[in-house]
Amino acid sequence: MTLIPLVRDEFSAPFFDGAAAGRLMLRYSPSSGEWSEPAALVCSVTQARDLEWRPAAGVGELVSWTVKPGRRGEDGRTAPDQVIGIVETAEGPWLTLRLVDAAAPGLRAGMAVRVDFVRPEGGEAMPVGRVSA
Amino acid sequence: MSTDRTAVIAGLGLTEFGRIYGRTPADFAIDAIGRAAEDAGLGLPDIDGLLVNPGVGNDIDLRLQSALQMRDTRVLATIQGFGSSAGQMVQYASMAIESGMADVVACVYADAPLKEGKSAGASYAGQKRAMQGVGALPAAAGLKAAPERYAVAARRHMNAFGTTSEQFGAVAVAARQWAAMNPRAQKREPITLADHQESRMIADPLRLLDCCLVSNGAVAVILTTAARAAELRRPPVHVWGWGQAHPGYANRRGSEFGLVTGAARSGADALKMAGIGVGDIDVREIYDCFTYTTLVTLEDYGFCAKGEGGEFVASGAIAPGGSHPTNTGGGELSSYYMWGMTPLSEAIIQARGDGGERQVPKHDLIMVSGNGGVLDFHSTLILSPHPKSA
Repeated sequence: MTLIPLVRDEFSAPFFDGAAAGRLMLRYSPSSGEWSEPAALVCSVTQARDLEWRPAAGVGELVSWTVKPGRRGEDGRTAPDQVIGIVETAEGPWLTLRLVDAAAPGLRAGMAVRVDFVRPEGGEAMPVGRVSA
Repeated sequence: MSTDRTAVIAGLGLTEFGRIYGRTPADFAIDAIGRAAEDAGLGLPDIDGLLVNPGVGNDIDLRLQSALQMRDTRVLATIQGFGSSAGQMVQYASMAIESGMADVVACVYADAPLKEGKSAGASYAGQKRAMQGVGALPAAAGLKAAPERYAVAARRHMNAFGTTSEQFGAVAVAARQWAAMNPRAQKREPITLADHQESRMIADPLRLLDCCLVSNGAVAVILTTAARAAELRRPPVHVWGWGQAHPGYANRRGSEFGLVTGAARSGADALKMAGIGVGDIDVREIYDCFTYTTLVTLEDYGFCAKGEGGEFVASGAIAPGGSHPTNTGGGELSSYYMWGMTPLSEAIIQARGDGGERQVPKHDLIMVSGNGGVLDFHSTLILSPHPKSA
Protein backbone atom coordinates (compact mmCIF):
# COMPACT_ATOMS: atom_id res chain seq x y z
CA MET A 1 0.00 0.00 0.00
CA THR A 2 3.14 2.22 0.08
CA LEU A 3 2.30 3.71 3.45
CA ILE A 4 5.40 5.04 5.14
CA PRO A 5 5.98 3.21 8.43
CA LEU A 6 5.55 5.22 11.60
CA VAL A 7 7.32 4.55 14.88
CA ARG A 8 6.06 5.71 18.26
CA ASP A 9 7.48 8.26 20.62
CA GLU A 10 6.47 8.72 24.24
CA PHE A 11 3.74 11.23 23.44
CA SER A 12 2.11 9.08 20.76
CA ALA A 13 2.24 5.73 22.61
CA PRO A 14 -1.48 5.80 23.61
CA PHE A 15 -2.48 6.58 20.03
CA PHE A 16 -0.56 3.63 18.63
CA ASP A 17 -1.69 1.33 21.45
CA GLY A 18 -5.25 2.26 20.48
CA ALA A 19 -4.55 1.74 16.78
CA ALA A 20 -3.13 -1.72 17.49
CA ALA A 21 -6.40 -2.56 19.26
CA GLY A 22 -8.55 -1.10 16.46
CA ARG A 23 -9.48 2.10 18.31
CA LEU A 24 -9.04 5.65 17.02
CA MET A 25 -7.66 7.83 19.79
CA LEU A 26 -8.05 11.61 19.68
CA ARG A 27 -7.18 14.38 22.12
CA TYR A 28 -9.98 15.62 24.38
CA SER A 29 -10.20 18.66 26.62
CA PRO A 30 -12.37 18.03 29.73
CA SER A 31 -12.59 21.75 30.45
CA SER A 32 -14.03 22.65 27.05
CA GLY A 33 -15.60 19.38 25.97
CA GLU A 34 -13.84 19.84 22.60
CA TRP A 35 -11.80 17.30 20.66
CA SER A 36 -8.53 17.96 18.87
CA GLU A 37 -6.34 16.13 16.36
CA PRO A 38 -3.87 13.49 17.58
CA ALA A 39 -0.84 15.79 17.34
CA ALA A 40 -2.49 18.63 19.30
CA LEU A 41 -0.65 19.93 22.37
CA VAL A 42 -3.37 22.37 23.41
CA CYS A 43 -7.11 22.41 22.70
CA SER A 44 -7.76 23.47 19.10
CA VAL A 45 -10.78 25.54 20.20
CA THR A 46 -9.92 27.06 23.60
CA GLN A 47 -6.14 26.53 23.81
CA ALA A 48 -6.71 24.75 27.14
CA ARG A 49 -3.74 22.67 28.24
CA ASP A 50 -5.68 19.78 29.71
CA LEU A 51 -5.77 17.45 26.72
CA GLU A 52 -6.02 13.73 27.31
CA TRP A 53 -6.34 10.73 25.02
CA ARG A 54 -9.83 9.36 24.54
CA PRO A 55 -11.29 6.84 22.09
CA ALA A 56 -13.33 8.33 19.26
CA ALA A 57 -16.14 6.83 17.22
CA GLY A 58 -13.88 6.19 14.25
CA VAL A 59 -16.29 7.59 11.68
CA GLY A 60 -16.41 10.82 9.73
CA GLU A 61 -16.95 12.39 6.35
CA LEU A 62 -14.75 13.33 3.44
CA VAL A 63 -13.71 16.99 3.22
CA SER A 64 -11.19 16.89 0.39
CA TRP A 65 -8.77 14.50 -1.34
CA THR A 66 -6.03 14.08 -3.86
CA VAL A 67 -4.83 11.22 -6.03
CA LYS A 68 -1.13 10.67 -6.64
CA PRO A 69 -0.68 8.61 -9.80
CA GLY A 70 1.39 5.50 -9.32
CA ARG A 71 4.89 5.81 -10.74
CA ARG A 72 6.93 3.14 -12.45
CA GLY A 73 9.42 1.66 -10.00
CA GLU A 74 12.94 0.41 -10.56
CA ASP A 75 11.49 -3.07 -11.04
CA GLY A 76 9.52 -1.78 -14.04
CA ARG A 77 6.17 -2.18 -12.33
CA THR A 78 3.78 0.73 -11.93
CA ALA A 79 2.66 1.32 -8.37
CA PRO A 80 -1.06 1.75 -7.68
CA ASP A 81 -2.47 5.26 -7.39
CA GLN A 82 -2.52 6.71 -3.91
CA VAL A 83 -5.85 8.22 -2.81
CA ILE A 84 -5.41 10.47 0.22
CA GLY A 85 -8.29 12.19 1.96
CA ILE A 86 -8.92 14.84 4.59
CA VAL A 87 -11.59 13.36 6.82
CA GLU A 88 -13.63 15.27 9.38
CA THR A 89 -14.28 12.92 12.28
CA ALA A 90 -17.65 12.89 13.98
CA GLU A 91 -15.98 14.57 16.97
CA GLY A 92 -14.68 17.44 14.81
CA PRO A 93 -10.92 16.99 14.28
CA TRP A 94 -9.60 16.37 10.79
CA LEU A 95 -7.43 13.39 9.93
CA THR A 96 -5.34 12.83 6.83
CA LEU A 97 -5.94 9.24 5.82
CA ARG A 98 -4.97 6.97 2.99
CA LEU A 99 -8.30 5.98 1.46
CA VAL A 100 -8.13 2.30 0.69
CA ASP A 101 -10.35 0.66 -1.91
CA ALA A 102 -11.35 4.13 -3.15
CA ALA A 103 -11.46 5.33 -6.76
CA ALA A 104 -11.13 9.03 -7.46
CA PRO A 105 -14.04 9.42 -9.91
CA GLY A 106 -16.56 8.35 -7.30
CA LEU A 107 -15.38 10.59 -4.50
CA ARG A 108 -17.60 13.41 -3.29
CA ALA A 109 -17.29 15.83 -0.38
CA GLY A 110 -19.45 14.67 2.50
CA MET A 111 -19.13 10.93 1.77
CA ALA A 112 -19.08 8.77 4.87
CA VAL A 113 -15.70 7.41 5.89
CA ARG A 114 -14.97 4.68 8.42
CA VAL A 115 -11.57 4.52 10.06
CA ASP A 116 -9.80 1.19 9.76
CA PHE A 117 -6.25 0.21 10.71
CA VAL A 118 -3.34 -1.36 8.89
CA ARG A 119 0.18 -2.14 10.02
CA PRO A 120 2.91 -1.32 7.47
CA GLU A 121 6.01 -3.47 7.71
CA GLY A 122 8.46 -1.96 10.16
CA GLY A 123 5.97 0.43 11.74
CA GLU A 124 3.08 0.82 14.15
CA ALA A 125 -0.55 0.19 13.26
CA MET A 126 -1.96 3.32 11.68
CA PRO A 127 -5.39 4.54 10.59
CA VAL A 128 -6.69 4.43 7.03
CA GLY A 129 -10.10 5.39 5.66
CA ARG A 130 -12.75 3.27 3.98
CA VAL A 131 -15.28 5.27 2.00
CA SER A 132 -18.91 4.26 1.73
CA ALA A 133 -21.32 5.78 -0.77
CA MET B 1 19.93 68.16 2.72
CA SER B 2 16.95 65.85 3.24
CA THR B 3 16.78 63.85 6.44
CA ASP B 4 13.84 61.71 5.34
CA ARG B 5 14.35 58.27 6.87
CA THR B 6 11.34 56.73 5.12
CA ALA B 7 12.55 53.38 3.81
CA VAL B 8 12.65 52.80 0.07
CA ILE B 9 13.92 50.05 -2.22
CA ALA B 10 17.08 51.29 -3.91
CA GLY B 11 18.70 48.18 -5.37
CA LEU B 12 17.74 44.90 -7.03
CA GLY B 13 20.14 42.10 -7.82
CA LEU B 14 19.24 38.97 -9.77
CA THR B 15 21.58 36.15 -10.73
CA GLU B 16 20.98 33.81 -13.63
CA PHE B 17 18.23 31.31 -12.84
CA GLY B 18 17.55 27.68 -13.58
CA ARG B 19 19.91 24.78 -14.13
CA ILE B 20 23.02 26.68 -13.09
CA TYR B 21 25.30 24.02 -11.61
CA GLY B 22 28.46 24.11 -9.57
CA ARG B 23 27.51 27.08 -7.40
CA THR B 24 26.43 27.04 -3.76
CA PRO B 25 23.52 29.05 -2.36
CA ALA B 26 26.05 31.25 -0.51
CA ASP B 27 27.85 31.92 -3.77
CA PHE B 28 24.56 32.85 -5.44
CA ALA B 29 23.61 35.04 -2.45
CA ILE B 30 26.86 37.02 -2.52
CA ASP B 31 26.51 37.46 -6.26
CA ALA B 32 22.95 38.80 -5.89
CA ILE B 33 23.89 41.20 -3.08
CA GLY B 34 26.80 42.48 -5.14
CA ARG B 35 24.55 43.03 -8.11
CA ALA B 36 21.93 44.80 -5.96
CA ALA B 37 24.57 47.12 -4.52
CA GLU B 38 25.90 47.88 -7.98
CA ASP B 39 22.36 48.48 -9.22
CA ALA B 40 21.83 51.00 -6.43
CA GLY B 41 25.20 52.67 -6.90
CA LEU B 42 26.43 51.51 -3.51
CA GLY B 43 29.44 49.53 -2.43
CA LEU B 44 29.33 46.47 -0.21
CA PRO B 45 30.90 48.48 2.65
CA ASP B 46 27.82 50.73 2.64
CA ILE B 47 25.60 47.83 3.76
CA ASP B 48 25.13 47.84 7.54
CA GLY B 49 22.16 45.48 7.77
CA LEU B 50 21.62 41.99 6.40
CA LEU B 51 18.49 39.85 6.43
CA VAL B 52 18.90 36.32 5.17
CA ASN B 53 16.10 34.03 4.02
CA PRO B 54 17.64 30.57 4.14
CA GLY B 55 15.21 28.64 1.92
CA VAL B 56 13.98 25.11 2.62
CA GLY B 57 17.46 23.65 2.88
CA ASN B 58 18.74 26.25 5.36
CA ASP B 59 21.80 26.52 3.16
CA ILE B 60 22.57 30.16 3.88
CA ASP B 61 22.52 31.78 7.28
CA LEU B 62 24.16 34.42 9.46
CA ARG B 63 27.59 33.26 8.31
CA LEU B 64 26.86 35.17 5.12
CA GLN B 65 28.01 38.25 7.05
CA SER B 66 31.48 36.76 7.42
CA ALA B 67 31.49 35.53 3.86
CA LEU B 68 30.79 39.10 2.75
CA GLN B 69 33.54 40.41 5.09
CA MET B 70 30.98 42.74 6.68
CA ARG B 71 32.17 44.53 9.84
CA ASP B 72 30.15 45.94 12.72
CA THR B 73 26.82 44.97 11.16
CA ARG B 74 23.99 46.77 12.93
CA VAL B 75 21.09 44.52 11.90
CA LEU B 76 21.61 40.82 11.21
CA ALA B 77 19.02 38.03 11.23
CA THR B 78 17.68 35.08 9.36
CA ILE B 79 14.02 35.43 8.45
CA GLN B 80 12.11 32.23 7.88
CA GLY B 81 8.53 32.72 6.78
CA PHE B 82 8.99 30.35 3.84
CA GLY B 83 7.29 31.90 0.81
CA SER B 84 6.21 34.94 2.81
CA SER B 85 9.82 35.74 3.74
CA ALA B 86 10.62 38.26 1.01
CA GLY B 87 7.72 40.49 2.00
CA GLN B 88 8.58 40.07 5.67
CA MET B 89 12.21 41.03 5.05
CA VAL B 90 11.18 44.26 3.30
CA GLN B 91 8.90 45.04 6.24
CA TYR B 92 11.56 44.41 8.92
CA ALA B 93 14.23 46.21 6.90
CA SER B 94 11.92 49.21 6.54
CA MET B 95 11.30 49.33 10.28
CA ALA B 96 15.02 48.98 11.02
CA ILE B 97 15.85 51.86 8.67
CA GLU B 98 13.06 54.12 9.88
CA SER B 99 14.01 53.53 13.53
CA GLY B 100 17.64 54.37 12.85
CA MET B 101 18.99 50.91 13.58
CA ALA B 102 20.61 50.71 10.16
CA ASP B 103 20.95 52.82 7.03
CA VAL B 104 21.38 50.30 4.22
CA VAL B 105 19.83 46.84 4.60
CA ALA B 106 20.29 43.99 2.14
CA CYS B 107 17.65 41.24 1.99
CA VAL B 108 18.58 38.06 0.19
CA TYR B 109 17.16 34.68 -0.82
CA ALA B 110 19.23 31.99 -2.47
CA ASP B 111 18.66 28.36 -3.31
CA ALA B 112 20.32 25.65 -5.37
CA PRO B 113 18.13 22.55 -5.15
CA LEU B 114 18.72 21.45 -8.74
CA LYS B 115 21.51 18.93 -9.08
CA GLU B 116 22.98 17.70 -12.34
CA GLY B 117 21.33 14.46 -13.43
CA LYS B 118 18.47 14.82 -10.93
CA SER B 119 14.90 15.69 -11.94
CA ALA B 120 13.33 18.96 -10.83
CA GLY B 121 10.54 17.02 -9.13
CA ALA B 122 13.04 15.22 -6.94
CA SER B 123 14.68 18.44 -5.78
CA TYR B 124 12.52 19.00 -2.73
CA ALA B 125 11.48 15.38 -2.16
CA GLY B 126 12.20 13.87 1.22
CA GLN B 127 13.52 10.42 1.95
CA LYS B 128 11.21 7.42 2.26
CA ARG B 129 12.12 6.21 5.70
CA ALA B 130 10.34 5.53 8.96
CA MET B 131 8.84 8.61 10.59
CA GLN B 132 8.16 9.19 14.25
CA GLY B 133 5.04 10.14 16.17
CA VAL B 134 1.50 11.23 15.35
CA GLY B 135 2.67 14.50 13.83
CA ALA B 136 3.93 12.47 10.89
CA LEU B 137 0.54 10.80 10.21
CA PRO B 138 -0.31 13.02 7.18
CA ALA B 139 3.08 12.41 5.57
CA ALA B 140 2.89 8.69 6.29
CA ALA B 141 -0.50 8.59 4.60
CA GLY B 142 1.07 10.19 1.53
CA LEU B 143 0.44 13.90 2.03
CA LYS B 144 4.07 14.88 2.09
CA ALA B 145 5.32 17.09 -0.72
CA ALA B 146 3.92 20.48 -1.70
CA PRO B 147 1.93 19.36 -4.78
CA GLU B 148 -0.27 16.88 -2.92
CA ARG B 149 -0.68 19.21 0.04
CA TYR B 150 -1.83 22.05 -2.22
CA ALA B 151 -3.93 19.59 -4.21
CA VAL B 152 -6.28 18.97 -1.28
CA ALA B 153 -6.64 22.73 -0.85
CA ALA B 154 -7.39 23.17 -4.55
CA ARG B 155 -9.86 20.27 -4.50
CA ARG B 156 -11.70 21.84 -1.59
CA HIS B 157 -12.00 25.10 -3.52
CA MET B 158 -13.36 23.15 -6.49
CA ASN B 159 -15.86 21.34 -4.28
CA ALA B 160 -17.07 24.55 -2.64
CA PHE B 161 -17.19 26.90 -5.61
CA GLY B 162 -17.24 24.77 -8.73
CA THR B 163 -13.75 25.89 -9.75
CA THR B 164 -12.43 23.79 -12.65
CA SER B 165 -9.11 22.45 -13.86
CA GLU B 166 -9.56 24.49 -17.04
CA GLN B 167 -9.73 27.64 -14.92
CA PHE B 168 -6.46 26.67 -13.24
CA GLY B 169 -5.16 26.18 -16.77
CA ALA B 170 -6.08 29.75 -17.67
CA VAL B 171 -3.68 30.92 -14.96
CA ALA B 172 -0.88 28.79 -16.43
CA VAL B 173 -1.51 30.04 -19.97
CA ALA B 174 -1.58 33.68 -18.87
CA ALA B 175 1.66 33.29 -16.91
CA ARG B 176 3.35 31.80 -19.95
CA GLN B 177 2.10 34.65 -22.15
CA TRP B 178 3.80 37.10 -19.81
CA ALA B 179 6.93 34.96 -19.57
CA ALA B 180 7.28 34.99 -23.35
CA MET B 181 8.14 38.68 -22.98
CA ASN B 182 10.61 38.17 -20.10
CA PRO B 183 14.19 37.42 -21.20
CA ARG B 184 14.95 36.01 -17.72
CA ALA B 185 12.11 33.49 -17.80
CA GLN B 186 13.05 29.81 -17.77
CA LYS B 187 9.96 28.83 -19.77
CA ARG B 188 9.04 31.09 -22.70
CA GLU B 189 7.53 28.80 -25.32
CA PRO B 190 3.75 29.35 -25.65
CA ILE B 191 1.31 26.88 -24.11
CA THR B 192 -2.40 26.40 -24.70
CA LEU B 193 -5.21 25.28 -22.47
CA ALA B 194 -5.07 21.94 -24.27
CA ASP B 195 -1.38 21.63 -23.35
CA HIS B 196 -2.36 22.22 -19.74
CA GLN B 197 -5.09 19.60 -19.84
CA GLU B 198 -2.76 17.08 -21.44
CA SER B 199 0.13 17.67 -19.06
CA ARG B 200 0.69 14.76 -16.72
CA MET B 201 -1.12 14.59 -13.41
CA ILE B 202 1.15 15.32 -10.46
CA ALA B 203 -1.39 15.21 -7.65
CA ASP B 204 -4.99 15.38 -8.77
CA PRO B 205 -6.32 18.00 -9.52
CA LEU B 206 -2.90 19.60 -10.08
CA ARG B 207 -1.14 18.82 -13.34
CA LEU B 208 2.45 19.50 -14.30
CA LEU B 209 1.53 22.89 -15.78
CA ASP B 210 -0.23 23.85 -12.54
CA CYS B 211 3.10 23.61 -10.71
CA CYS B 212 5.89 26.16 -10.33
CA LEU B 213 9.38 25.70 -11.63
CA VAL B 214 12.45 24.77 -9.62
CA SER B 215 15.40 27.15 -9.93
CA ASN B 216 18.93 27.63 -8.75
CA GLY B 217 19.84 31.26 -8.19
CA ALA B 218 19.41 34.22 -5.86
CA VAL B 219 17.70 37.58 -5.58
CA ALA B 220 18.70 40.45 -3.32
CA VAL B 221 16.97 43.73 -2.56
CA ILE B 222 18.59 46.73 -0.88
CA LEU B 223 16.62 49.26 1.13
CA THR B 224 17.83 52.58 2.45
CA THR B 225 16.43 55.93 3.50
CA ALA B 226 14.58 58.13 1.03
CA ALA B 227 17.19 60.82 1.71
CA ARG B 228 20.07 58.55 0.74
CA ALA B 229 18.22 57.03 -2.18
CA ALA B 230 17.81 60.48 -3.70
CA GLU B 231 21.57 60.51 -4.29
CA LEU B 232 21.75 56.99 -5.75
CA ARG B 233 21.77 55.54 -9.24
CA ARG B 234 18.20 54.30 -9.64
CA PRO B 235 14.87 55.93 -8.82
CA PRO B 236 13.54 54.60 -5.52
CA VAL B 237 10.60 52.24 -5.19
CA HIS B 238 8.42 53.35 -2.32
CA VAL B 239 6.79 51.00 0.16
CA TRP B 240 3.27 52.30 0.75
CA GLY B 241 1.85 49.53 2.82
CA TRP B 242 2.35 46.09 4.21
CA GLY B 243 0.70 43.33 6.17
CA GLN B 244 1.16 39.82 7.41
CA ALA B 245 -1.40 37.17 8.26
CA HIS B 246 -0.71 33.63 9.33
CA PRO B 247 -4.08 31.89 9.60
CA GLY B 248 -3.08 29.06 11.92
CA TYR B 249 -5.74 26.83 10.38
CA ALA B 250 -7.35 24.67 13.03
CA ASN B 251 -7.23 21.12 11.76
CA ARG B 252 -10.87 20.60 12.54
CA ARG B 253 -14.50 21.33 11.70
CA GLY B 254 -15.04 24.88 10.50
CA SER B 255 -11.54 25.31 9.09
CA GLU B 256 -11.30 27.63 6.09
CA PHE B 257 -8.27 25.73 4.72
CA GLY B 258 -8.37 25.82 0.95
CA LEU B 259 -11.19 28.35 0.90
CA VAL B 260 -9.77 31.54 2.45
CA THR B 261 -6.08 32.38 2.86
CA GLY B 262 -4.01 34.84 4.84
CA ALA B 263 -4.18 37.16 1.84
CA ALA B 264 -7.61 38.29 3.03
CA ARG B 265 -6.26 39.79 6.24
CA SER B 266 -2.77 40.84 5.16
CA GLY B 267 -4.08 42.41 1.96
CA ALA B 268 -6.66 44.46 3.83
CA ASP B 269 -4.02 45.60 6.33
CA ALA B 270 -1.62 46.61 3.54
CA LEU B 271 -4.31 48.56 1.68
CA LYS B 272 -5.33 50.33 4.88
CA MET B 273 -1.73 51.29 5.62
CA ALA B 274 -1.32 52.57 2.05
CA GLY B 275 -4.56 54.52 2.33
CA ILE B 276 -5.96 53.10 -0.89
CA GLY B 277 -8.59 50.63 -2.06
CA VAL B 278 -8.07 47.44 -4.00
CA GLY B 279 -9.49 49.15 -7.06
CA ASP B 280 -6.51 51.50 -7.05
CA ILE B 281 -4.04 48.70 -7.71
CA ASP B 282 -2.61 48.67 -11.24
CA VAL B 283 -0.42 45.56 -11.20
CA ARG B 284 -0.55 42.34 -9.16
CA GLU B 285 2.49 40.19 -8.46
CA ILE B 286 1.08 37.10 -6.77
CA TYR B 287 2.97 34.21 -5.22
CA ASP B 288 2.10 31.39 -7.60
CA CYS B 289 3.60 28.16 -6.39
CA PHE B 290 0.55 26.60 -8.06
CA THR B 291 -2.11 28.00 -10.38
CA TYR B 292 -4.67 27.58 -7.63
CA THR B 293 -2.64 29.86 -5.37
CA THR B 294 -2.93 32.74 -7.83
CA LEU B 295 -6.66 32.23 -8.13
CA VAL B 296 -7.45 32.06 -4.42
CA THR B 297 -5.12 34.97 -3.59
CA LEU B 298 -6.84 37.21 -6.15
CA GLU B 299 -10.16 36.36 -4.50
CA ASP B 300 -8.88 37.05 -1.01
CA TYR B 301 -7.34 40.38 -2.00
CA GLY B 302 -10.76 41.34 -3.34
CA PHE B 303 -10.06 41.61 -7.06
CA CYS B 304 -13.13 39.44 -7.54
CA ALA B 305 -15.77 38.00 -5.23
CA LYS B 306 -15.01 34.91 -3.12
CA GLY B 307 -15.66 31.83 -5.18
CA GLU B 308 -15.53 33.69 -8.50
CA GLY B 309 -11.78 33.43 -8.99
CA GLY B 310 -12.19 30.71 -11.60
CA GLU B 311 -14.40 32.81 -13.84
CA PHE B 312 -12.20 35.84 -13.22
CA VAL B 313 -8.95 34.23 -14.39
CA ALA B 314 -10.68 32.45 -17.30
CA SER B 315 -12.01 35.79 -18.56
CA GLY B 316 -8.53 36.85 -19.63
CA ALA B 317 -8.38 39.56 -16.97
CA ILE B 318 -4.92 38.58 -15.72
CA ALA B 319 -3.28 37.93 -19.12
CA PRO B 320 -1.43 40.47 -21.24
CA GLY B 321 -3.97 43.00 -22.48
CA GLY B 322 -6.40 42.08 -19.71
CA SER B 323 -8.03 44.40 -17.21
CA HIS B 324 -5.95 43.14 -14.24
CA PRO B 325 -2.33 42.51 -15.30
CA THR B 326 -0.98 39.83 -12.97
CA ASN B 327 2.39 38.12 -12.63
CA THR B 328 3.79 40.16 -15.46
CA GLY B 329 7.12 38.38 -15.57
CA GLY B 330 5.59 34.92 -15.82
CA GLY B 331 5.62 34.26 -12.07
CA GLU B 332 6.98 31.16 -10.42
CA LEU B 333 5.01 29.10 -12.92
CA SER B 334 7.04 30.22 -15.91
CA SER B 335 9.87 32.63 -15.03
CA TYR B 336 11.87 31.53 -11.98
CA TYR B 337 11.15 30.12 -8.53
CA MET B 338 12.83 32.28 -5.92
CA TRP B 339 10.09 32.05 -3.30
CA GLY B 340 8.65 35.51 -2.54
CA MET B 341 11.53 37.17 -4.34
CA THR B 342 9.89 36.21 -7.64
CA PRO B 343 6.85 38.47 -7.23
CA LEU B 344 8.89 41.11 -5.37
CA SER B 345 11.58 41.39 -8.05
CA GLU B 346 9.02 41.69 -10.84
CA ALA B 347 7.16 44.35 -8.85
CA ILE B 348 10.36 46.40 -8.58
CA ILE B 349 11.02 45.97 -12.30
CA GLN B 350 7.48 47.13 -13.10
CA ALA B 351 7.60 50.04 -10.64
CA ARG B 352 10.80 51.28 -12.27
CA GLY B 353 9.32 50.94 -15.74
CA ASP B 354 12.04 48.43 -16.65
CA GLY B 355 9.65 45.75 -17.94
CA GLY B 356 10.47 46.27 -21.61
CA GLU B 357 8.00 44.51 -23.86
CA ARG B 358 5.94 43.38 -20.88
CA GLN B 359 5.90 46.73 -19.06
CA VAL B 360 2.42 47.63 -17.84
CA PRO B 361 1.84 51.25 -18.90
CA LYS B 362 0.02 52.25 -15.72
CA HIS B 363 2.10 50.97 -12.82
CA ASP B 364 1.55 53.51 -10.06
CA LEU B 365 0.50 50.96 -7.42
CA ILE B 366 1.65 47.35 -7.33
CA MET B 367 0.43 44.67 -4.91
CA VAL B 368 2.87 41.90 -4.02
CA SER B 369 1.99 38.71 -2.20
CA GLY B 370 4.09 36.11 -0.43
CA ASN B 371 2.70 32.76 0.61
CA GLY B 372 4.46 30.12 2.64
CA GLY B 373 3.89 26.63 3.96
CA VAL B 374 0.59 25.35 2.63
CA LEU B 375 -1.24 28.68 2.79
CA ASP B 376 0.02 28.97 6.38
CA PHE B 377 2.03 32.20 6.13
CA HIS B 378 1.21 35.33 4.18
CA SER B 379 2.79 38.71 3.57
CA THR B 380 1.68 41.62 1.41
CA LEU B 381 3.49 44.70 0.12
CA ILE B 382 2.16 47.66 -1.81
CA LEU B 383 4.89 49.35 -3.85
CA SER B 384 4.92 52.48 -5.98
CA PRO B 385 7.36 54.58 -7.98
CA HIS B 386 5.86 57.59 -6.21
CA PRO B 387 6.33 58.67 -2.60
CA LYS B 388 3.27 58.01 -0.49
CA SER B 389 2.85 61.64 0.48
CA ALA B 390 2.87 62.90 -3.11
